[in-house]
Amino acid sequence: MTTYSRRHILAAGAASAAVFGLPHIAKAQAAGRVVVIGGGFGGATAARYIKLFSPNTEVTLIERDPSYITCPFSNYVLGGIRKLDDITQRRDPLQQRYGIKILRGEASAVDTNAKRVRLKDGGQVNYDRLVVAPGIELKYAGVPGWSEQAANTVMPHAWKAGQQTLLLRKQLESMADGGTVIVAPPANPFRCPPGPYERVSMIAWYLKTHKPKSKILVLDAKDAFSKQGLFVSGWESQYPGMITWIAGKDGGKIESVDPKDMTVTAGFGKEKGAVINIIPPQSAGKIAIDAGLAEANGWCAVEPTSFASKKAKDVYVLGDASIAGAMPKSGTAANSQAKVVAANVVSSLRGTTPPAAVFHNTCYSLVTPEYGISVTGTYRAGPQGVAEVPNAGGVSPMQANAAQRKLEAEHTAGWYAGIIADTFG
Amino acid sequence: MHRSVSPWLLAAALGVAAYGLVGIGQFGIGHFGIGSATAQQRNGITDITLAAQTCNVCHGSASYISPTMPAIHGHDANTLYAALTEFKTDKRPYTIMGRIARGYSDEQLRALADYLAKN
Repeated sequence: MTTYSRRHILAAGAASAAVFGLPHIAKAQAAGRVVVIGGGFGGATAARYIKLFSPNTEVTLIERDPSYITCPFSNYVLGGIRKLDDITQRRDPLQQRYGIKILRGEASAVDTNAKRVRLKDGGQVNYDRLVVAPGIELKYAGVPGWSEQAANTVMPHAWKAGQQTLLLRKQLESMADGGTVIVAPPANPFRCPPGPYERVSMIAWYLKTHKPKSKILVLDAKDAFSKQGLFVSGWESQYPGMITWIAGKDGGKIESVDPKDMTVTAGFGKEKGAVINIIPPQSAGKIAIDAGLAEANGWCAVEPTSFASKKAKDVYVLGDASIAGAMPKSGTAANSQAKVVAANVVSSLRGTTPPAAVFHNTCYSLVTPEYGISVTGTYRAGPQGVAEVPNAGGVSPMQANAAQRKLEAEHTAGWYAGIIADTFG
Repeated sequence: MHRSVSPWLLAAALGVAAYGLVGIGQFGIGHFGIGSATAQQRNGITDITLAAQTCNVCHGSASYISPTMPAIHGHDANTLYAALTEFKTDKRPYTIMGRIARGYSDEQLRALADYLAKN
């Protein structure tokens, strides 16, 4: 094991720069001011790695919320195997250990010509390079009959973790044994492709252990989903008879909902739910759209080599808000893209050649607390965008013994601890 | 493996990569893609430095030791390379490492092993 600490690394970086300086042209450019909008897995990782690559660069992270309640592992709050506190993360180390300035507030506008971000409270910040990582916006109007008010009272989305997670959990706790839980995932693309199906698994875990006569009905807008074979096989072995999944082509797509009656109308007809979880269609976070960084489809086009915006100079968009080719909208993907962005930001400030982009994704899901499955991929920039490296990656084997599933469940927890450390320091 | 002197401080003392100093990865060695490796080595962040950071998300960094995932920093380079190639060829069946190692050429795995051994 190496024994030096991150503090030493920073000290070394600063000392080196002081001793040797940064010659001529690079001197002014190498430092630079970087503003990052959004302190989730993408934005926080980008801020941290910019500082690791270039300790002299001034990094300001604009973030609305005081703490970060992670979407990963929020399904385990629903299943009753984690508490909200367990998935609530602090960003303080970014400021304390890395010298990133955290600006609490909401970015309300970006002037990409003047290179300036305006805040809702009236403040403004100038940048040399801007990193936009706002995550997603939920499209409440995308489900007729549903609304933000309905989501906050009777039909939660729980697709941004926090109060919504607790509301859905409370509804599961309140429902009578024998009721039907309806989960309605959206069409692609959306945040966390395996998420709805892990959610179904975790709700099934809670019901199996507390309300075993209950059922889950999955009304899907899609005809196929992430890790489908593994999930369906896991559901059959762990929760026999409890879960029914209806594909979009078989009438699963929801056409409208009635929050007063607690009913949903799908292609096949009307269904009443004791608990109804609507996962709506999504777009890039509002600030990305307001800044003119999004395409007509609501997502932001980027260069696959750098995640530089195709719409504005010296602006990078990463994570869920970006159009990332073959990469899913996941925390690991955002974390990986953020490292590529950090390297490109620092290289462009220095005027050096940026390194070749390589990206990684791993998404673990739990079928039960001791039954984990995964999908991984390695990606590179290709002519058509970010493309998966062929003959690599893929999902857990369909045939595996209980010990292997348990090992992947342990790695699920290991991944979580790792990405929190890698993102927030 | 224990080191009494931080390689970073050593780098500063020796003036390694005095131009375009980076907080991490000034020991980045070997080239990862085709082309500009030499310029990168002299001026900035190398391909292998960037690629190696992808491991951190699960395995932690030199300063964060995962309670669950095997540590990968500071091992002997040959041991690491042997492990990676055994994952790649399924000689060492495990969970996701075979799938990940198959995303890289043997030359790239060698460069990653060399980097991780030194950083």
